[in-house]
Amino acid sequence: MSSGAKTGWGLVPRTPALLVTHSDLADALLRAAEKVYGAVEGVEVMSNEGLSREELEQAIGRRVADWHEGGLVLTDFWGGSCHLCGVAAARGHGDVVVVTGINLPLLLDYLHNRDEYGPLALADRLIRRGRDSIRLHHGQTA
Amino acid sequence: MSWLLQRVDDRLIHGQVVVAWGGRLHPARIWVVDERAASDPWEKDLLASAAPGAEVRVVTVATMAAAWRGEAEAPGGAFLLVRDLGVALTLVEAGAAIERLNLGGLHYAPGKTKVNEYIYLDEADRARARALLARGVALEVQDVPGARPEPLAALDPASAPA
Repeated sequence: MSSGAKTGWGLVPRTPALLVTHSDLADALLRAAEKVYGAVEGVEVMSNEGLSREELEQAIGRRVADWHEGGLVLTDFWGGSCHLCGVAAARGHGDVVVVTGINLPLLLDYLHNRDEYGPLALADRLIRRGRDSIRLHHGQTA
Repeated sequence: MSWLLQRVDDRLIHGQVVVAWGGRLHPARIWVVDERAASDPWEKDLLASAAPGAEVRVVTVATMAAAWRGEAEAPGGAFLLVRDLGVALTLVEAGAAIERLNLGGLHYAPGKTKVNEYIYLDEADRARARALLARGVALEVQDVPGARPEPLAALDPASAPA
């Protein structure tokens, strides 16, 4: 089965994820997600704080090196060091993909679906979910 | 138009450059002067994708020096990014007329000592800083536009010429 397809009920390994952000956002996002989802296992967090480009790339690279079936590097914004170092670290690692613009709804959707989808299909789903979660609610509801 | 920002930053293009400085100054071009990146098409493409709205040019010192005068006459402003003081000094020695150099990020590595939270220097860095100052280049430590620029020599007297 393609790693991009929905996998069903745990027929392939869980799609791993690493959160890489500025400051302590990744840690805070994971703690917030645990308030909604419950205890989370198997998600690593990392800050770019105080790291040069090479150090950050190497630190991400060490974590994705064992993702033989691929995985997701979830980062805060496009063009930042977390994004660029994630892309550089994922180079040559097959289906290790980088998603930028992480938010709490996106992270929660990852947790609910990481056993159901391979990395590419899950990344597509998370991007849609992250975008769809940004809405304007103005005035009274009917 | 002329240069909007000339910066030493070992992360080259990243959030502070794209979001903070870019959002404030809106450069038309970002020149990344880096021998290694300039020789790697994959790295050039990655850097070019990182700054939507600006044309990213990843070049060698020699190419930048040759293009220096033309850049000053080009429409729209530009950013210059180098990864360390050595590249900055080489560029100045090659003829680039840099008056003010922003020091935005030189992270810790073995042998380097702390100047502030985002600038760490070793003796080779300090020698290059002194050489740049002796050539009339002002060295200002400032990570983001909202921070107050401070002369390197005030923060790190060992970087000042004797």
